[in-house]
Amino acid sequence: MNGAGHLLRFMLRRERFGLPWWLLGATVLVLVQSTQSQNLYDTPEDLAKLRESLGGNTAVVAMSGPTRLLESIGGEVLFEIFAFVSIVVALMNMFLVGRHTRADEESGRAELVRSARVGRRATLTAALTLAGLANLAVGVLVFAVTVGTGLPVAGSVLFGAALAGVGCVFAAATAVAVQVFENARAAYGAVALVLGAAYVLRAAGDVGDGTLSWLSPIGWGQRTFAYVDNRWWPLLVMAAAIGAAVAVAMAMLGRRDFGAGLVRPRLGRATASAALGSPLGLAWRLQRGSLIGWAAGLFLLGAAYGSIGDSIEQYVADNPEVAEFLPGGAADIVDGYLGLTAMTLALIGTAFGVIAALRARGEETSGRAEPVLATATSRAAWLASHLVVAAAGSALVLAAAGFGEGLAYGLTVSDAGQAPRMVGVALGYLPSVLLVTAVAVLAIGWLPRAATALAWTMVGYCAVVALFADSFEIPGWLQRGSPFAHTPQAPLEALTATPLVILAVLAAALAAGGYAGLRRRDLGY
Amino acid sequence: MHADNGAAIEIAGLTKSYGRAKALDGLDLTVTSGQVHGFLGPNGSGKTTTIRVLLGLLRADAGAVRMLGGDPWRDAVALHRRLAYVPGDVNLWPNITGGEVIDLLGRMRGGLDRRRRDELLERFDLDPRKKSRTYSKGNRQKVALVAALASDAELLLLDEPTSGLDPLMEAQFQQCVQQVKREGRTVLLSSHILAEVEALCDRVSIIRLGRTVESGTLTELRHLTRTSIAVETAQRLDGMDGLPGVHDLVLEDHHARFDVETAQLDAVMRRLAPLGVRSLTSTPPTLEELFLRHYGDEQAVAR
Repeated sequence: MNGAGHLLRFMLRRERFGLPWWLLGATVLVLVQSTQSQNLYDTPEDLAKLRESLGGNTAVVAMSGPTRLLESIGGEVLFEIFAFVSIVVALMNMFLVGRHTRADEESGRAELVRSARVGRRATLTAALTLAGLANLAVGVLVFAVTVGTGLPVAGSVLFGAALAGVGCVFAAATAVAVQVFENARAAYGAVALVLGAAYVLRAAGDVGDGTLSWLSPIGWGQRTFAYVDNRWWPLLVMAAAIGAAVAVAMAMLGRRDFGAGLVRPRLGRATASAALGSPLGLAWRLQRGSLIGWAAGLFLLGAAYGSIGDSIEQYVADNPEVAEFLPGGAADIVDGYLGLTAMTLALIGTAFGVIAALRARGEETSGRAEPVLATATSRAAWLASHLVVAAAGSALVLAAAGFGEGLAYGLTVSDAGQAPRMVGVALGYLPSVLLVTAVAVLAIGWLPRAATALAWTMVGYCAVVALFADSFEIPGWLQRGSPFAHTPQAPLEALTATPLVILAVLAAALAAGGYAGLRRRDLGY
Repeated sequence: MHADNGAAIEIAGLTKSYGRAKALDGLDLTVTSGQVHGFLGPNGSGKTTTIRVLLGLLRADAGAVRMLGGDPWRDAVALHRRLAYVPGDVNLWPNITGGEVIDLLGRMRGGLDRRRRDELLERFDLDPRKKSRTYSKGNRQKVALVAALASDAELLLLDEPTSGLDPLMEAQFQQCVQQVKREGRTVLLSSHILAEVEALCDRVSIIRLGRTVESGTLTELRHLTRTSIAVETAQRLDGMDGLPGVHDLVLEDHHARFDVETAQLDAVMRRLAPLGVRSLTSTPPTLEELFLRHYGDEQAVAR
């Protein structure tokens, strides 16, 4: 334990720029949800209508939580946001604990620390304390915004405490994972799996008789039924889980060697397969994991959107004010909804294209591009290898999103034609995604140091224009800079070739311009 | 494109700046085909920058650079088929095994000798099945070395290739380079380990602040420096401090220790002989001393 106090202060210093954003993100999610819900369902009758339309919808229950929460407006806020904000807080805890324990151990930084007068358990103790403080902050902030937006005090305290509790459970789970695995990535993978399982178990439980929800930390939080029953005892379940996991982690830490885990890393291939013999083979190998994750994630998100498409019609009929947010108005409710969600999916998919293109820059700054470019690999072939993965991968990610949405919607309305139709709608955004990706390439060529910031600014700009143009009253000329503003919003509007071809040609031109810059400049800085 | 003039690398007046910082300031370097050329200099003197210019990763601001008869910037891809490179700081993809990296780099260069690859893996005692993230610095360096040495490239650019290796592996490395030399291939070896340079190199260039300060064979360079002498004579040693070329003299009646410039060695010996030399040890200048003489004043400035 010796030195834990100093370490904690040092960790807080290292987190001073990152942590506030996580806290802000979680707080804003709750704040927006609380405000929106109270605006939309401001009378008990509205809430009763919502119970009727949502209560029977399995997909919504699976996505959100137990319908019992819908009995008060505060509970409705919990119903809609608790599972999602739990994921945010769980990830925050995972990175907090992982970064300061296993990641530091892996990089060798922890060795330097441990050689000083610091006890074996000090680092983990300090990291868990750090996570505890962050969760306390989450709890207090959630309490503040829920009470601040007019929800009852007792329920708000419980909401904050339940969310902080979920965070602590995942901090403790990460503490175990970082003892088991020798590298941080594997530990993150394991915790993410637990998080996924927690979400799925509570979904299955909430749809069924509720038993399975009791296997999920998110389920424990929701089953406090804050604002409805205000049950406190599920927090004891959390406390028991936290205590047990921390005890296991400490016991494992006491037995293992520094730098070692319980699971020895597996040995890989002694020779490269035939596929790993070219720049493209390497780029594919480096990005395939990320591509599969993105495609699966957007497929699931698409499926979530698609599954409620059918209820949307009923929902909008009950809440006519929602129709204002849909581009087709009340007339083409479902098509408007499908179009808007497909565009949202495409905007998220843009992040994959940009990440894939920026990978080239990452290879350069990490020094890994150097041995590749010292072989008979030209700069053109090297850049192209990453761009091919970015472009083809974007197409795959969009298709997966559209397929998920079309499949889920098609299943609810028994129409097999919806899946290919929505794949087409989603792929209509491919030129836009490629254009944003090409902006990243242009920056890599000419302003390499600013490339990451510029590329993400472009993504953020497109997202703001696409999603908030009307509510923020963004002037038309400012909106026209986004390729998404020039893509017909299918299926409401017909997909026309001209704008898509122009966008694709522009994307190709920008990428070529980026290569022209890359060809000219020094590499590696 | 073959270099018929006998020079694998010819650099004249090479200049390279990063913003205001001048990394190379009129560097000259000639590496003869079939030789092992030592490239010496302290950290930040411009060795890595020079090698990156040779690889076409950096563009020269001014000066003439020829490698294997081509222009490293313009003909990069064609030239890279004929060379192999070991970076000073080897960064590998964490999820890819050492064996895969060796094969990948070999294939991208245009093929590698499978038999030699396996032989080198054994020689350097490297497990190719481990993921790169689990390798130590030395093992990452071995991966790059095996990838380079398993090729039949006619030119090897090695940037401090042994800084992470233990003495056993260092010996293996020296044997490999000697083998490469017997095969008539050319090596540019940037190094800090002077014993390694003395053991392997035909010629040496010493650079400092982006400029070549000495270049030649080890014998030629030794001529420019001093021999340490310890002598005991029958008669009292007098008047030694007046002699030209004698430095750091410590005199005690019949004993003397001093350094003498190689050019003045003969004159000093003639002076000593009549005094009746009882014992004499002379130590040839080491590369170490050569090195320190060139950088000593830099350290003094730094202080």
